[in-house]
Amino acid sequence: MTRSVWKGPFVDGYLLNKAEAGRASGRNEIIKIWSRRSTILPQFVGLTFGVYNGHKFLPVQVNENMVGHKFGEFSPTRTFTGHSGDKKAKRG
Amino acid sequence: MGVVGRPHGVRGLVHLHSYAADPAALPSYGPLVDERGRQFRMRWHSEGVAELFEMADGKRLRVPDRTAAEKLVNTRLYIERASLPPPDADEFYLSDLQGLQVMTVDGRDLGPVTGVHDHGGGVYLEIGTLLLPFTKACVPGVDVAGGRITVALPAEVVVAEDRAEASRDTAA
Repeated sequence: MTRSVWKGPFVDGYLLNKAEAGRASGRNEIIKIWSRRSTILPQFVGLTFGVYNGHKFLPVQVNENMVGHKFGEFSPTRTFTGHSGDKKAKRG
Repeated sequence: MGVVGRPHGVRGLVHLHSYAADPAALPSYGPLVDERGRQFRMRWHSEGVAELFEMADGKRLRVPDRTAAEKLVNTRLYIERASLPPPDADEFYLSDLQGLQVMTVDGRDLGPVTGVHDHGGGVYLEIGTLLLPFTKACVPGVDVAGGRITVALPAEVVVAEDRAEASRDTAA
């Protein structure tokens, strides 16, 4: 069952403060968070978070497509790293 | 670039797990080579199912039946790096970034890149225990030919109530 719309998305309070401070600084910063359960909000787009996976803070660059998902979805807790194959990276 | 999975049917077809960004492009990369040096060509038969041809003495020998296909299960297939098309400007193959020497903007040597990962939240580099997002701000210089990249270590956002509040929220 999905979450009721009237409740709004869940976000831990401390995370909002950190995101605001990160955006205000305008510098090259990583916002370390433990809250994997928090929903990604539109105001987080463009920020880089370090999402804790129980071991490390994995960098997550938030873009528009991630809005509505939870932070934990982008920070796997198991060690499988995948295969590079012919995959390419573009600097964000 | 891929690994041979279980046989499909009795005519020598196999399930092929492709690690290519676009599996349809896999046959265009030229011969696939396994760990024993055998060369294969492949053709997609249907989604995830391929027809394999072993190249021997200049001949193209189709994998004839299920028994032959069973012998190929778990065979890892590779390609020559040179057969990949050159990447676009400001685009890099993940495999090229691996092993590059990392220097900070102030000239400190951090060692080689030990891993390049992407879990859906953007590519990031693993440099020993350090994890760095692959952004222009954090990685201002990439010189694949020269075998080195330049990084600007990011600061961490710290707010006064920080961790204490985080644990209080979690407990609530």
